[in-house]
Amino acid sequence: MRQGARVAGGMLGVAILLIGWQMLAQALYQGRLIAGPVGIVEWLGRDPGLALRALARTLGNAAAGFALGNLAAILLAGIAFLWPRLQDLVTGLALVAFCLPLIATGPILRVLMGPGEGPQIVLAALAVQYTTLIPLLTGLRAVPAAWLDLIHSYGRGRWVELAHIRARAALPYLFAGLQIGAPAAVLGAMVGEFTGAERGLGVLTIRYMRDLDVPALWGVALLAAGASLAAYWAIGGLARLVLDTRPPVLLAPPMRQLRTGRVVGGLTLALAVLLLWWGGLWLTGLNPFLAKGPWDVLAALVWAPDATQMRAALFGALRESAGLAVPGYLAGLAAGAGLAILLTLLPGAGPLVMPVAVALRAIPIVTTGPLIVLFLGRGALGTITLVAVMVFFPTLVACLHGLRQAPGHILDLLRVHAAGPLSQMIHVRIPAMLPALFAAARISVPTAILAVTVVEWLATGRGLGSLMALAASTSDFRMLWSAVALITLLAVLCHAVVAGLERRVLARYAPEQLRQ
Amino acid sequence: MPDSIGSEAIICTGLAKTHPGGIEAVAPIDLRLMAGQTTALIGPSGCGKSTLLRLIAGLDQPDAGQVIILGMTPEKARRRAAISVAFQDPSLLPWLTVRGNLGLARRLARQRPDPVRTLRLIELVGLAGFADTRPAALSGGMRQRAAIARALVTQPQVLLLDEPFGAVDELTRRQLARDLPPLWQEAGTTTLLVTHSIAEAVTLSDRIIVLSSRPARIVADIDVPLPRPRPADLAEDAGFRAIAAKALAALSALT
Repeated sequence: MRQGARVAGGMLGVAILLIGWQMLAQALYQGRLIAGPVGIVEWLGRDPGLALRALARTLGNAAAGFALGNLAAILLAGIAFLWPRLQDLVTGLALVAFCLPLIATGPILRVLMGPGEGPQIVLAALAVQYTTLIPLLTGLRAVPAAWLDLIHSYGRGRWVELAHIRARAALPYLFAGLQIGAPAAVLGAMVGEFTGAERGLGVLTIRYMRDLDVPALWGVALLAAGASLAAYWAIGGLARLVLDTRPPVLLAPPMRQLRTGRVVGGLTLALAVLLLWWGGLWLTGLNPFLAKGPWDVLAALVWAPDATQMRAALFGALRESAGLAVPGYLAGLAAGAGLAILLTLLPGAGPLVMPVAVALRAIPIVTTGPLIVLFLGRGALGTITLVAVMVFFPTLVACLHGLRQAPGHILDLLRVHAAGPLSQMIHVRIPAMLPALFAAARISVPTAILAVTVVEWLATGRGLGSLMALAASTSDFRMLWSAVALITLLAVLCHAVVAGLERRVLARYAPEQLRQ
Repeated sequence: MPDSIGSEAIICTGLAKTHPGGIEAVAPIDLRLMAGQTTALIGPSGCGKSTLLRLIAGLDQPDAGQVIILGMTPEKARRRAAISVAFQDPSLLPWLTVRGNLGLARRLARQRPDPVRTLRLIELVGLAGFADTRPAALSGGMRQRAAIARALVTQPQVLLLDEPFGAVDELTRRQLARDLPPLWQEAGTTTLLVTHSIAEAVTLSDRIIVLSSRPARIVADIDVPLPRPRPADLAEDAGFRAIAAKALAALSALT
C-alpha cells in the first residue's frame, strides 16, 4: 500500500511538473523560447524514427569513443605506473590532448578521416581519456604503506602488489573517472557532429538552430541530457555492484610537482608534442595541403608574406574569446563556490542538493548551448552565461564535497567554544573547501575554452570559434592548424598557472594531498 | 622444528639504522633469539622498537650489520613464507572479508587454502560469526584480532608482532594471552613481540629485552622462567611480580 501511494505521489508530482512547464512555456514566451512538453512530444511524434536514429548514432559513437579513450587511459596509466620516469611525460601528453580545442580539432579530423564516424569517435575519446587517467594514477598510488608492507612481509614484489592491492584499490577511482567520462563522451561525439557529420543529434541541433525550430531544439537537448544522465547512473550502478559502495565524488587530484623541474619538464613535453605531431604527419603521409606540421604553423604566424594579417586575425579573435571566457570562467567558479557555501549554511540543504547537483553535472551543457543563446541572445551575455554554467556545476559539486570534508574534531572544538555556523564556515569549512575549488578551477580551464568556442562556432559569429568555422568552410588549413596550436598552448599554460596556484594553496591547507 | 643454525632462529649482528634527516633510530645491536622462544621488546615510546622489528623482517634495510633468520637472509626467509608480521595498524584489505583476508595471506605465502585452519583461527581470536564480515563493520579491537589471525594462518616459523594488542579490550587481551602461546609452542614458532606493557611482556614471553631511548640499545635482558601454561591469575604470582619489577626498574633507570 505504502509503495503504491509513493508511486501515485511520484506520478502526481511529475504530472504537476509537466503541466507547470507547459503553462510557463505558453504564458511567458508563447512557445518561442521555451518549448513545453506538448511541443516536444509533437516533434517526437512527427518523425520518431529520425530522433531515435540520431540518438542511436550519437550514443554509438560516444560509446566507441568512451571505450577507446578509457582503454588508452588505462594503458597510459599502466605505462606511467610501471615506468615512473615516464609519468610526467605521459600525463603531460594526455593533458595536451585534453586541451585540444575539440571544435577546431573536429574539422581537421574530418578532412583527415573523411565523412564517416571517425572524427566523432576520436573527439569522444579525447574528451574522456584525461579524466580517467589522472584519478586512475592516483588510485594506483593511494595505497597505505602498511598494505604494501604486508605483501613484502611474504617476500612478494611489485606484480603481486599490483594484482592484489593496487589494481583493486584503484577501482573506485577508475569508476569515478568513468562516471565523469560518460557524459563527456556524449559531448565529444556531439561536438564532432557539429563539425560536419551526416547523422546524429549534433547534426539535428545545427539543422534546428538554422530553422529556429524551438520544440525540436529542446527535444534534442533533452535526449542528449537524458542519455548522458542514464549513462552516468548506469556506471554508478555498476560501481555499486562491483565496489559495494558509490564511487567517490571525483576531485581531480592535484598535479604533482614535476620530477625533472618545471623548465626541463616543460621543454621535454614541448619537444615530445612537436615530435609526435611531425612524426604523425610523416608516418601517415597526409596531403600537405590539408595536414600542416609545426614548421608550417610557425611559418604562417612568423615569416609568411601574410603572417601579419594572420596574426592580427588570430590574436584579435583570441582577445574577443578571452574577453568572454575569462569572466564566464570566474563567474562560474564564484557562483559554484558561493552556492555551495550557502547551501551548507542552510541546515539540511547540502545533502539534499548534492545528488541533484551531481546528476546535473552529468548533463553536457554545451549541447544545450543553443537554448541558452535563444534565451540570452547572441551577445556577450549569452556566451558568458554558457561558459559560467559549464564551469558552475563541477565547481558546485566539488565545493559541496570539499565543505563536507571539514575535520569533525576541529568543528567540535569550535562548537565547544560556542562558535556559530558562520564562524565555523569561515575558520574551518572554507579552508577545507579550497583544495576542491582549485581542483575544479584547474579541470574547468579546457571546459571554459570548449564552451566559448562552441557558442562562437554555432551561434555568435565572433571570436576564435567563428574564425575556425570560417577557416574550416574556406579550407584555410593554415589558419585552422594555427588556431588549434595556439589554443592548446594557451590552455596548457592556463592549466599550469591554476595548478601552480593550487599547489600553493594545498601546501598551506592540505599538505597531505601533495605527498603522493 | 625450525631449521635454524643450532638453536638460534634470529641473529642480529651490529644492526644499526639512521633515519633520513640524521635521526639515529637503532644503535649497533647484537641479538640472538632462540628457536621456539617468545621474546618481548619493551622500551620508551619512539625508542626504535618498531624500527628494529622492521629491520629484522627485512622491510627496512639497515645502515650497518646484518640479520640472519633460520640461516637465511630476511628476504629469503620471507620468500619461503617463514615469517609473518602483525603490524601495529591491522592493515586489513577493506574489500575482503575476515576470511578473505586470511585466505589472501595464504595465497601470498604460496600455500593452498586451508578453510578449517582459517575458521579455527578466526574463532580462536574471538571472531566466530564474523568470518564473512568486512573490516569496516568491525571495531578497532576486532580488526586487530583479525590481523593476528592472519599472521598465524600461514603457520610461520618466525612471528613478528608489533604491538598487536594495542586496541584490544582487557578481557580479550587476557583471553588471547591464554590461547595464543600454546599455538606458538605447538608449532615451535619463534616469536618477537613489541609491546609497551610490562605485564603483557611477562605474561607472554620467555625473555624480555629492554631497549633504551633513541637510539635503541639493549639495556637489560631478563629471563622469564615462569612455567607454561601460565594461569589467568599469573599477575598474583610472586615470580611474575619480581620479573615485572626488574623490567620496570630497567625502564625507570632510563629516565
